[in-house]
Order: sequence, then structure tokens, then C-alpha cells
Amino acid sequence: MGKIFDFKYMIEIIPSILKGIPYTMGIAVVSFVIGIGIGLAGALFKIYKVPVMNKVTGIYVSFIRGTPLVVQILLIYYAFPILIKFINYKFGTHIDISWIPAVVFMFIAYSLNAGAYLTESIRAAIQAIDKGQMEAAQSVGMTMSQAMIRIILPQAAKISLPVFANFFIGLLKDTSLAFTAAVPEIMGQAKIQAGRASRFFEAYIDAALIYWIICIILERILAVIEKRNKEKS
Amino acid sequence: MSEIMIEMKNIQKHFKNNHVLKGVDLTVNEGETVALLGSSGSGKSTLLRCINLLETPDEGEVRINDFSFSADKINKHVKLEARRRTAMVFQNFGLFANKTALENVTEALITVHKKSKAEANEIGKKYLEKVGLLDAANQYPSTLSGGQKQRVAISRALALDPKIILFDEPTSALDPELVQEVQRVIRKVAEERVTMLIVTHEMDFAREVADKVAFMSEGQILETGTPEEFFKNPKNERTKKFLESYMQRFAYSI
Repeated sequence: MGKIFDFKYMIEIIPSILKGIPYTMGIAVVSFVIGIGIGLAGALFKIYKVPVMNKVTGIYVSFIRGTPLVVQILLIYYAFPILIKFINYKFGTHIDISWIPAVVFMFIAYSLNAGAYLTESIRAAIQAIDKGQMEAAQSVGMTMSQAMIRIILPQAAKISLPVFANFFIGLLKDTSLAFTAAVPEIMGQAKIQAGRASRFFEAYIDAALIYWIICIILERILAVIEKRNKEKS
Repeated sequence: MSEIMIEMKNIQKHFKNNHVLKGVDLTVNEGETVALLGSSGSGKSTLLRCINLLETPDEGEVRINDFSFSADKINKHVKLEARRRTAMVFQNFGLFANKTALENVTEALITVHKKSKAEANEIGKKYLEKVGLLDAANQYPSTLSGGQKQRVAISRALALDPKIILFDEPTSALDPELVQEVQRVIRKVAEERVTMLIVTHEMDFAREVADKVAFMSEGQILETGTPEEFFKNPKNERTKKFLESYMQRFAYSI
């Protein structure tokens, strides 16, 4: 019988698992940034009850929140080849789906997912700002968009910071599902290494520690930002 | 001959089934301080907000010096024009929480009036000094007292050089001991003949600072006159009652 716990193997495979970090961080950062963009648009559509877009946003948010992330990932992963086949058929083009790396699909899936949740958080943050702020801005002659950009959104962003921070950490951990679509992020690398020597526990401990350390670093950075923010008001 | 700064004709406003303004006429001349009195819910604040269009009147005509509009032709452009000719001091200060005292004053000078940052800062400092708050220029509103906040708000209004400053119960949210410092600033502004329309519950202050007093009740202006006439010889029955009940408040507080 072999070793109960192969400590040496656990250490050995760390560099290989670390190779997943760029994918993990890439998906998290890209989809967070795009998600904030979508979320801001969605929030404004809802707050100002923009015709049509208001309804579209409602359905979008409801769908994303009402279905598991893995399902969304798989839907995007399988929808695109079909969409491209359709485009090729319809327009006589010859786009090859294999040109597009799988991670791009993950950007799309995670951005859409993040956008829906952020729509609700950003909406709540904007609506939490005292109505008097908008009135004051308008009373001095600012346009609605000037007031939004210069007065309301900076305040909303500030109160959202802890929410965004939490969300980003959650998102970072959710990227571990991207291996479902064959993206070799941290969890994907861990699975590969685990399978190579059938040392699953060792590999997953590495993955857990790596996620944990990244999150601790993030929390530290955010604590500093929050502290600086507090001093500035 | 002084110019007309505000002229409102037959202003009507409903909030759902509540008829708040029932055809109000009001004129404010250049350099005049007009106090708008009346019990809560009489429509004073709503009338004020119909001038800078934070509320949209249902009917009537408004003229702000060189700019006139009627209630049925209000759009985004009209709102901006009306607001760029007026400034407002709010009951709850309405200072931008994410801006320092100085930035509060300069914000609109830069974004709305397209002044350079240097020029705006110069103007801003001048007006902060006027209200005695130059030292607080770099402080955020959350670090200021209520009285200081309101003084910053007044200097923000003055810096815009508006046709008229609209005061919406400027001292109602203040602790009693802070009311004086804000009233002192408003008095100083009145002495400089800045045109002002002040909604207030402070009778003594109105009597002392105003050139003209208008009394509102149930969505109508019942009586207009000099403070002298108004407080000594009210003509309308309801004005008399209002003043009596106001005096009685003092009788109780022995």
C-alpha cells in the first residue's frame, strides 16, 4: 500500500497549479469590470424605468438569479458553436469556432452572471443616496447626467465598496467552475494534477490554500482602500 | 426702477387628489427680500419649488427676470434655464457629501458655468470668506456643524450670482443655538440687496429681514404687505388667527 498522504507530491505540484492563476484572475477581473458596466446600465434602466430596457433588465436579472452558474456556463459554452454554425449557414461565412479560446466564453458567461447581481447592488446603492443630493445638484443647474456622474455615482460607489469587495471575492471563487468548460484555471490545474497520480486530496488542499491566500491578500488590499476612503469624508 | 425678478401668475399644483396650490400670484422685485409665511402644509415650499421646477406646476405662468415659461411648456431645457437663473438653500442643507466645502461652492461654477478651476476657486474662497468659513474650505460636510453646513450652502448659492435665492426653511433643521449664526448670514445677504424669497416659520426673523411678507393658507396667498402692516394690522381673518396662535405659543412657554 502507498502512502496515506503524499506530502512531497502535494508540494511538487504547486507550481503547476499556480499556472491556473492567470485564468482565475483573468476571468474574475474581466467579468467584474464588464459586470459593473452591465450592472450600472441595468440599474439606471430600472431606476428611470426606461421603456423596454426596464423589462429586458427585469427578465435578464430574474433568469440569471434563477438558474445555477454551471448551467449558464454550459449554455454559453454550447450556444456559441451553434450560433456560429448558424451564422456560417445563413451568411455563407467560414468562421471556425476553434479559433475562439474557451476562456472567451467564460468571460461572457461570468460577465453576464456578474452583471445581473451587480444590477441589483448598484440599484440599491444609488437609491440609498439621499434624494436631496440630486435635487441640490439640479438646483445649481447641473444636468441629470452631470449630477449622476459627479455627485450621485461617486457616493454610491463609496457605499458599494464593501459589497463590491465581497462580490469580487465570491466571483473569484466561482471561477473554479470554469473547468467545466475546459479552462485550465486553478481548480482545473488541480484536477489535472490530481488525476495524474490519483492524489486528489493533495491537489485539492493545494487549490484550497491558493484560493485562501489570494482572498486574504485581497481582503488586506480592500481594508486599506476602505480605510483611506473613510478618512476622505 | 427696479426690475421684476420673479413673477408668478395663477400657479396651480395638484399632488394626486390634493390641490396644493390654488392659483397663486406672487411678484418679487430686484433687491427685495420676501418672506413667505404660513402653517405647515399651506403650500409654501411647493410654491418655492415651482420656481426652480423641482416641482412642476400644473398650470400658470412663471417669469424669472428675462426668462418666462408657462406650465404646459416645461421641458428639460426650460428646467435647466430656470435653475441656472436661481439658487436654492434647502432645509436639510443639500451639500454634496462627496465634495469639500470649497468644492461644493465651485462645483456648479465649473460644470455649469464653465469657469476655469482657478477662477472658480477664487470665487469660491471669496464667498466662503463672506460666510466666515474660509478656514473650513477643505473640510467635508460630515465634519461641519449644521450651522456651518447651511452657511456653506448659502455661499454656494451666492457664488452662482443668481437672479434670486430661494430659501426653503433654512433654519428649521438647526439646533436652536445655531439658528442665530445662519440668520445673521442671511441678514447680511439681505443688506447687500440680493433678491431673496424665504420660506420660514421664524416670525421674528421674517419681520426683521423682509421687505415684504406674503401669507399663505391652503394653497393661496391671502395677504401681502410690509412686515409692519402684516404683523400689526393683519386684514384677513385667517392671518389674524395664525398670528394669534403664534403669539400664544410664547404665552405657554413660561
